[in-house]
Amino acid sequence: MALRAAILRHVRVPIQTLTLTGPKPQVRGPNGGSLRFLSSHGDDHLTKGEVIDRVLSVVKSFPKVDPSKVDPDVHFQKDLGLDSLDNVEIVMALEEEFKLEIPDKEADKIDSCLLAIEYIYNHPMAG
Amino acid sequence: MSVTSTAGYFARRAAQRERVRILYRRALKDKLNWAVHRHIFYQDASELRERFDANKHVEDPDTIDRLIADGEASYNKWRHPDPYIVPWAPGGSKFTRNPIPPSGIEIVYNYGREDND
Repeated sequence: MALRAAILRHVRVPIQTLTLTGPKPQVRGPNGGSLRFLSSHGDDHLTKGEVIDRVLSVVKSFPKVDPSKVDPDVHFQKDLGLDSLDNVEIVMALEEEFKLEIPDKEADKIDSCLLAIEYIYNHPMAG
Repeated sequence: MSVTSTAGYFARRAAQRERVRILYRRALKDKLNWAVHRHIFYQDASELRERFDANKHVEDPDTIDRLIADGEASYNKWRHPDPYIVPWAPGGSKFTRNPIPPSGIEIVYNYGREDND
Protein backbone atom coordinates (compact mmCIF):
# COMPACT_ATOMS: atom_id res chain seq x y z
CA MET A 1 0.00 0.00 0.00
CA ALA A 2 2.80 2.38 0.85
CA LEU A 3 4.65 1.23 -2.27
CA ARG A 4 1.58 1.96 -4.34
CA ALA A 5 1.28 5.42 -2.81
CA ALA A 6 4.96 6.09 -3.49
CA ILE A 7 4.63 5.05 -7.12
CA LEU A 8 1.51 7.12 -7.57
CA ARG A 9 3.17 10.14 -6.04
CA HIS A 10 5.86 9.88 -8.67
CA VAL A 11 3.47 9.33 -11.54
CA ARG A 12 0.90 11.95 -10.68
CA VAL A 13 1.74 15.37 -12.01
CA PRO A 14 1.64 17.97 -9.23
CA ILE A 15 -0.93 20.66 -9.80
CA GLN A 16 1.33 23.68 -9.91
CA THR A 17 3.36 22.32 -12.85
CA LEU A 18 0.32 22.11 -15.10
CA THR A 19 0.32 25.10 -17.42
CA LEU A 20 -2.45 26.14 -19.68
CA THR A 21 -1.39 26.57 -23.26
CA GLY A 22 -3.35 28.30 -25.93
CA PRO A 23 -3.50 31.81 -27.29
CA LYS A 24 -6.53 33.00 -25.35
CA PRO A 25 -6.02 36.73 -24.91
CA GLN A 26 -7.10 38.06 -21.53
CA VAL A 27 -8.97 41.11 -22.76
CA ARG A 28 -10.47 43.16 -19.94
CA GLY A 29 -13.73 45.05 -20.45
CA PRO A 30 -14.52 48.51 -19.13
CA ASN A 31 -15.79 47.30 -15.73
CA GLY A 32 -12.87 45.04 -15.07
CA GLY A 33 -14.68 41.86 -16.14
CA SER A 34 -13.09 39.73 -18.80
CA LEU A 35 -14.55 39.87 -22.28
CA ARG A 36 -15.19 36.77 -24.26
CA PHE A 37 -15.85 37.06 -27.95
CA LEU A 38 -19.11 35.48 -28.89
CA SER A 39 -18.14 33.60 -32.06
CA SER A 40 -17.59 29.89 -31.75
CA HIS A 41 -15.21 29.53 -34.63
CA GLY A 42 -12.93 31.58 -36.76
CA ASP A 43 -10.99 32.92 -33.76
CA ASP A 44 -7.80 31.04 -34.33
CA HIS A 45 -6.22 33.09 -37.05
CA LEU A 46 -3.18 31.36 -38.43
CA THR A 47 0.08 33.18 -38.64
CA LYS A 48 1.74 33.47 -42.01
CA GLY A 49 4.64 31.33 -40.86
CA GLU A 50 2.33 28.50 -39.84
CA VAL A 51 0.48 28.68 -43.14
CA ILE A 52 3.73 28.56 -45.09
CA ASP A 53 5.03 25.62 -43.06
CA ARG A 54 1.89 23.56 -43.46
CA VAL A 55 1.53 24.33 -47.17
CA LEU A 56 5.14 23.37 -47.81
CA SER A 57 4.81 20.16 -45.83
CA VAL A 58 1.74 19.19 -47.86
CA VAL A 59 3.51 19.90 -51.13
CA LYS A 60 6.65 18.06 -50.03
CA SER A 61 4.74 14.95 -49.08
CA PHE A 62 3.21 14.71 -52.54
CA PRO A 63 4.74 11.59 -54.12
CA LYS A 64 5.53 13.14 -57.49
CA VAL A 65 7.36 16.11 -56.02
CA ASP A 66 11.05 16.36 -55.22
CA PRO A 67 11.09 17.80 -51.67
CA SER A 68 14.35 19.67 -52.07
CA LYS A 69 12.95 21.88 -54.81
CA VAL A 70 10.02 23.15 -52.82
CA ASP A 71 10.11 26.84 -51.96
CA PRO A 72 7.42 29.25 -50.85
CA ASP A 73 7.36 30.76 -54.33
CA VAL A 74 7.49 27.68 -56.49
CA HIS A 75 5.08 27.19 -59.40
CA PHE A 76 3.54 23.73 -59.52
CA GLN A 77 3.57 23.22 -63.25
CA LYS A 78 6.56 25.28 -64.30
CA ASP A 79 9.06 24.65 -61.49
CA LEU A 80 8.02 21.26 -60.19
CA GLY A 81 7.08 19.81 -63.55
CA LEU A 82 3.65 18.66 -62.48
CA ASP A 83 0.57 18.04 -64.56
CA SER A 84 -2.63 20.07 -64.36
CA LEU A 85 -4.33 17.05 -62.78
CA ASP A 86 -1.53 16.97 -60.19
CA ASN A 87 -2.31 20.60 -59.53
CA VAL A 88 -5.92 19.62 -58.81
CA GLU A 89 -4.70 16.91 -56.44
CA ILE A 90 -2.45 19.30 -54.56
CA VAL A 91 -5.28 21.82 -54.16
CA MET A 92 -7.49 19.04 -52.80
CA ALA A 93 -4.78 18.04 -50.35
CA LEU A 94 -4.51 21.65 -49.18
CA GLU A 95 -8.28 21.78 -48.74
CA GLU A 96 -8.12 18.71 -46.56
CA GLU A 97 -5.20 20.06 -44.55
CA PHE A 98 -6.80 23.40 -43.72
CA LYS A 99 -10.39 22.17 -43.58
CA LEU A 100 -11.41 24.64 -46.25
CA GLU A 101 -14.00 24.46 -48.95
CA ILE A 102 -12.63 26.23 -52.01
CA PRO A 103 -15.10 26.88 -54.87
CA ASP A 104 -14.23 25.22 -58.17
CA LYS A 105 -13.44 28.43 -60.01
CA GLU A 106 -11.08 29.62 -57.30
CA ALA A 107 -9.41 26.26 -57.02
CA ASP A 108 -8.70 26.24 -60.71
CA LYS A 109 -6.69 29.43 -60.38
CA ILE A 110 -4.37 28.22 -57.63
CA ASP A 111 -1.27 27.48 -59.61
CA SER A 112 1.67 28.08 -57.34
CA CYS A 113 2.67 27.96 -53.70
CA LEU A 114 2.49 31.74 -53.50
CA LEU A 115 -1.15 31.86 -54.58
CA ALA A 116 -2.03 29.00 -52.26
CA ILE A 117 -0.41 30.64 -49.25
CA GLU A 118 -2.06 33.97 -50.02
CA TYR A 119 -5.48 32.40 -50.51
CA ILE A 120 -5.30 30.34 -47.31
CA TYR A 121 -3.94 33.21 -45.25
CA ASN A 122 -6.72 35.50 -46.38
CA HIS A 123 -9.42 32.91 -45.87
CA PRO A 124 -11.36 33.64 -42.66
CA MET A 125 -12.08 29.99 -41.91
CA ALA A 126 -8.64 28.46 -42.36
CA GLY A 127 -8.26 25.93 -39.56
CA MET B 1 -7.87 17.64 -92.51
CA SER B 2 -5.22 19.78 -90.86
CA VAL B 3 -5.92 21.45 -87.59
CA THR B 4 -6.16 25.23 -88.03
CA SER B 5 -4.29 27.00 -85.26
CA THR B 6 -6.58 29.93 -84.84
CA ALA B 7 -7.32 31.71 -81.63
CA GLY B 8 -10.70 30.05 -81.57
CA TYR B 9 -9.12 26.61 -81.57
CA PHE B 10 -6.86 27.46 -78.68
CA ALA B 11 -9.70 29.06 -76.76
CA ARG B 12 -11.75 25.92 -77.27
CA ARG B 13 -8.91 23.71 -76.10
CA ALA B 14 -8.36 25.92 -73.04
CA ALA B 15 -12.06 25.72 -72.17
CA GLN B 16 -11.89 21.95 -72.54
CA ARG B 17 -8.87 21.81 -70.25
CA GLU B 18 -10.74 23.78 -67.61
CA ARG B 19 -13.74 21.45 -67.90
CA VAL B 20 -11.44 18.47 -67.50
CA ARG B 21 -9.80 19.94 -64.42
CA ILE B 22 -13.15 20.74 -62.79
CA LEU B 23 -14.47 17.30 -63.67
CA TYR B 24 -11.38 15.64 -62.20
CA ARG B 25 -11.72 17.70 -59.02
CA ARG B 26 -15.38 16.81 -58.56
CA ALA B 27 -14.80 13.16 -59.37
CA LEU B 28 -11.94 12.98 -56.86
CA LYS B 29 -14.08 14.55 -54.13
CA ASP B 30 -16.83 12.12 -54.96
CA LYS B 31 -14.42 9.22 -54.59
CA LEU B 32 -13.57 10.57 -51.18
CA ASN B 33 -17.25 10.69 -50.29
CA TRP B 34 -17.78 7.09 -51.27
CA ALA B 35 -14.56 5.55 -50.00
CA VAL B 36 -13.99 6.84 -46.49
CA HIS B 37 -11.23 4.40 -45.64
CA ARG B 38 -8.07 5.98 -46.89
CA HIS B 39 -6.47 2.92 -48.49
CA ILE B 40 -9.60 2.29 -50.56
CA PHE B 41 -9.67 5.96 -51.52
CA TYR B 42 -6.07 5.81 -52.71
CA GLN B 43 -6.87 2.82 -54.94
CA ASP B 44 -9.92 4.58 -56.35
CA ALA B 45 -7.98 7.79 -56.89
CA SER B 46 -5.20 6.08 -58.80
CA GLU B 47 -7.73 4.21 -60.92
CA LEU B 48 -9.48 7.51 -61.71
CA ARG B 49 -6.15 9.11 -62.59
CA GLU B 50 -5.37 6.25 -64.97
CA ARG B 51 -8.71 6.68 -66.68
CA PHE B 52 -7.97 10.35 -67.20
CA ASP B 53 -4.41 9.70 -68.34
CA ALA B 54 -5.48 7.12 -70.91
CA ASN B 55 -7.18 9.87 -72.90
CA LYS B 56 -4.49 12.45 -72.36
CA HIS B 57 -3.12 12.46 -75.91
CA VAL B 58 -6.33 12.89 -77.84
CA GLU B 59 -6.03 15.83 -80.23
CA ASP B 60 -9.38 16.13 -81.97
CA PRO B 61 -11.61 18.70 -80.20
CA ASP B 62 -14.84 16.86 -81.05
CA THR B 63 -13.59 13.61 -79.56
CA ILE B 64 -12.44 15.49 -76.51
CA ASP B 65 -15.88 17.06 -76.15
CA ARG B 66 -17.52 13.69 -76.40
CA LEU B 67 -15.14 12.20 -73.81
CA ILE B 68 -15.78 15.08 -71.41
CA ALA B 69 -19.54 14.67 -71.83
CA ASP B 70 -19.21 10.94 -71.13
CA GLY B 71 -17.14 11.69 -68.07
CA GLU B 72 -19.64 14.21 -66.74
CA ALA B 73 -22.50 11.77 -67.35
CA SER B 74 -20.76 9.05 -65.39
CA TYR B 75 -19.91 11.54 -62.65
CA ASN B 76 -23.58 12.53 -62.39
CA LYS B 77 -24.54 8.89 -62.28
CA TRP B 78 -22.18 8.13 -59.40
CA ARG B 79 -22.68 11.22 -57.25
CA HIS B 80 -22.97 10.50 -53.56
CA PRO B 81 -26.42 11.29 -52.07
CA ASP B 82 -24.95 12.66 -48.86
CA PRO B 83 -21.62 14.29 -49.63
CA TYR B 84 -19.28 15.51 -46.96
CA ILE B 85 -19.33 19.29 -46.87
CA VAL B 86 -17.06 21.25 -44.56
CA PRO B 87 -19.23 22.32 -41.57
CA TRP B 88 -19.05 26.08 -42.00
CA ALA B 89 -19.74 25.96 -45.76
CA PRO B 90 -23.28 26.19 -47.19
CA GLY B 91 -24.81 22.76 -46.86
CA GLY B 92 -22.62 21.83 -43.93
CA SER B 93 -23.85 21.15 -40.43
CA LYS B 94 -22.55 24.31 -38.82
CA PHE B 95 -23.62 26.75 -41.50
CA THR B 96 -25.34 29.79 -39.94
CA ARG B 97 -25.57 27.91 -36.67
CA ASN B 98 -23.95 30.65 -34.58
CA PRO B 99 -24.01 33.85 -36.57
CA ILE B 100 -21.66 36.50 -35.33
CA PRO B 101 -23.63 38.94 -33.16
CA PRO B 102 -23.75 42.56 -34.30
CA SER B 103 -20.80 44.60 -33.17
CA GLY B 104 -21.19 46.59 -30.01
CA ILE B 105 -22.85 43.76 -28.11
CA GLU B 106 -20.61 42.12 -25.57
CA ILE B 107 -21.14 40.13 -22.41
CA VAL B 108 -19.08 41.52 -19.57
CA TYR B 109 -18.26 38.85 -17.05
CA ASN B 110 -17.72 40.80 -13.88
CA TYR B 111 -19.48 38.18 -11.70
CA GLY B 112 -21.87 40.60 -10.10
CA ARG B 113 -19.25 43.00 -8.85
CA GLU B 114 -20.84 46.38 -8.38
CA ASP B 115 -19.19 49.62 -9.31
CA ASN B 116 -18.83 50.85 -5.77
CA ASP B 117 -17.24 47.67 -4.41
